Amino acid sequence: MVTVAAAPWVLPVLVVFVMIALGAAAFDAVLANRRPGALLIPGDEMARLLRQRRRTTVSADSPLWRIGGGGLIVAALLMVVVIPVGGVALTDLSVGVVWFNTMDVAVWALVWLTGWGANSAHSLVGGYRFLAQALAYELPLMFALTAPAVGAASLRLADVVAAQQGLWFVVWMPVAFVVYLIGVVGFSVWGPLNPAAGRDIAGGILAELSGVDRLLVLAGRYALLSAGAAFAVPMFLGGSAGLPWLAGLLPGWVWFTVKWLLLLACLVATRRRIPTIRPDRFVEAGWLVLLPVTLVQLLVVSTVVVLRS
Amino acid sequence: MGVTAMGMRSWLAERAVRRVHVLVVEVPGRWATRVAVQRAVTQRGWVEATSAADADALVVCGTPGRRLAEAIDRVWDQLPGPRARAEVELTDNEQAGVAVQAAVDGAVEGAADGALDRVAAALMDDLAQRADAAGRSSWSAGMADAGEMAGDTAGDDGMDHGGMDDMDMGDMDMGDMDMGDMDMGDMSPGGIALAGGAEDRDGLEMDVLHVPLGPVLPHWPAGLVLRCTVAGDVVTEAEAEVLPAAAPHLAQGRVPADAWWCDQAAAVLALAGWNDAAAQAQQARDLLLAGEATAATATAARLRVRVARSRILRWQLRDLGSDARPDVRERLLDLLDRAAGQLGNNPPAAAVTDLPDLVPGLELAAVRLLVASLALDTTAAEPVTSHG
Repeated sequence: MVTVAAAPWVLPVLVVFVMIALGAAAFDAVLANRRPGALLIPGDEMARLLRQRRRTTVSADSPLWRIGGGGLIVAALLMVVVIPVGGVALTDLSVGVVWFNTMDVAVWALVWLTGWGANSAHSLVGGYRFLAQALAYELPLMFALTAPAVGAASLRLADVVAAQQGLWFVVWMPVAFVVYLIGVVGFSVWGPLNPAAGRDIAGGILAELSGVDRLLVLAGRYALLSAGAAFAVPMFLGGSAGLPWLAGLLPGWVWFTVKWLLLLACLVATRRRIPTIRPDRFVEAGWLVLLPVTLVQLLVVSTVVVLRS
Repeated sequence: MGVTAMGMRSWLAERAVRRVHVLVVEVPGRWATRVAVQRAVTQRGWVEATSAADADALVVCGTPGRRLAEAIDRVWDQLPGPRARAEVELTDNEQAGVAVQAAVDGAVEGAADGALDRVAAALMDDLAQRADAAGRSSWSAGMADAGEMAGDTAGDDGMDHGGMDDMDMGDMDMGDMDMGDMDMGDMSPGGIALAGGAEDRDGLEMDVLHVPLGPVLPHWPAGLVLRCTVAGDVVTEAEAEVLPAAAPHLAQGRVPADAWWCDQAAAVLALAGWNDAAAQAQQARDLLLAGEATAATATAARLRVRVARSRILRWQLRDLGSDARPDVRERLLDLLDRAAGQLGNNPPAAAVTDLPDLVPGLELAAVRLLVASLALDTTAAEPVTSHG
């Protein structure tokens, strides 16, 4: 079972989470530049954006624009609160899986508002590209999230972790795991699923953002990617459990962090290696490939569960 | 307290200037200068900006003609600030004084580096930046621009606002609109007229917008303006024009063919969102310019294999482009063949004047990829006499 952490722990945990997201940005900078000193680039970028002035555009829908941009990081933080680390979580919702799903659906609105608010053609095209892409990844993602929940017969993350003792879900739900990661890359507007912020439309949803507004959106993307990687650990990678033959060596929270960071590093590294996938092509793949294979995966999981009981 | 704030500000400025985002504007005929600036930007650990909002500095390569200069000024108004602006151009003396090509190259590189030094100094100068900010009365919305825009969208020369600076104006279509049943005075929020409708590729009625692409747009042919009428993100009509340099035929810096092909391939790859491959193409280009032909050819050949093998790229680019043959992927491979010193199979026969026939029916991403893959030489399209 999970102990709920005392209230004073909320801030430190969220600070650690933000540091990890910053680390993801640093890793991306190292991959892009391959030179010493690249680790400091996110710091330089932050200084630059904090110094830069905010701007606005003609007839911008400012409140909605700011809500969209600032909301991404909030959604990511809310995703994190239900994740148990070493038997402790900030909150122990009985519907933790659905909670995560709710947040990732909220990202639809937030990204679209970021594109809409600027009242600019390229920005708006970016926002609509995201919606088209979301239509392709969201249903497969939902069914991928359902697979571990069915396997554990619970929507509570602590139960999902407990059900993986002996065999991690990633082993017998590999398709759901991969589809889940595609969904994470999708809702983080991360490459290759980043046409909404593509260079071909001058940065799309980012085209008109400057200063602290831009910083919040960029940070929000890293935060979402980090939260998605963290959530995969209890869902598919056995939570804080160690590798079977090494389990006693390290405390649970260390195992959790190792899995989290490895997965996050893989997600960060995909961006530079794969070309952007345009929404019109991705929609085909989402509905004709991802959705059917995820449903088959779910059928297999359900059959196993029925036969076992 | 005041001292701390000052210290904080200068610390921020110092950090910020290590990562300047530069919007590089190439004037037609100044390819070599633009490449020199790009290399200087990379060497400093700076990056190229994707849009005016993303930029700290505007570096103009060459001397633009009057209309191009006006467009660049509008983009300059859109930089959030702190901001700096520099022009890289050799003086007539420098032009005339050097007969040896290598000396021209050296002078161009020196000028590029000097321009970036000036940019860094200007960005660090907090007092001057404050004065600049205080003097920008039309800043925060550029409302003055909006009024002007609403006045002249009706059909006359909307082009001189070209570039990304236009997009936020929501430059709407009044030409196609039924003016009879609309009271324009009441229905123009922020001085912007409401859009008319037209059908997109799925037969849905979408707002019609006029979105000019260029002349200030990364990975875009120098000086080109493509005035697109779009429904949704699909281009229904387009007009193409090149805004010339002030002095069209002043030779400056050499343009070695293989490096030029490499650069065009890099643009296609960057637009396709394949950062690693785009960086590799730029690396091959820079090796060629540095005279290391063997290493460059090897890099270009490796890149060609990589591009040819990528299934995802094939899936993204296949059948893309007008009439689809040769499609963008085939054109890209052809560019890489040329970069590696081989003769391509598909000569990029298109000219700027062909664009209006090629782009209708394509969505914006496809237009960008197609235009980049055509490897247009906009100096060829320049009229002999300057407009400026």
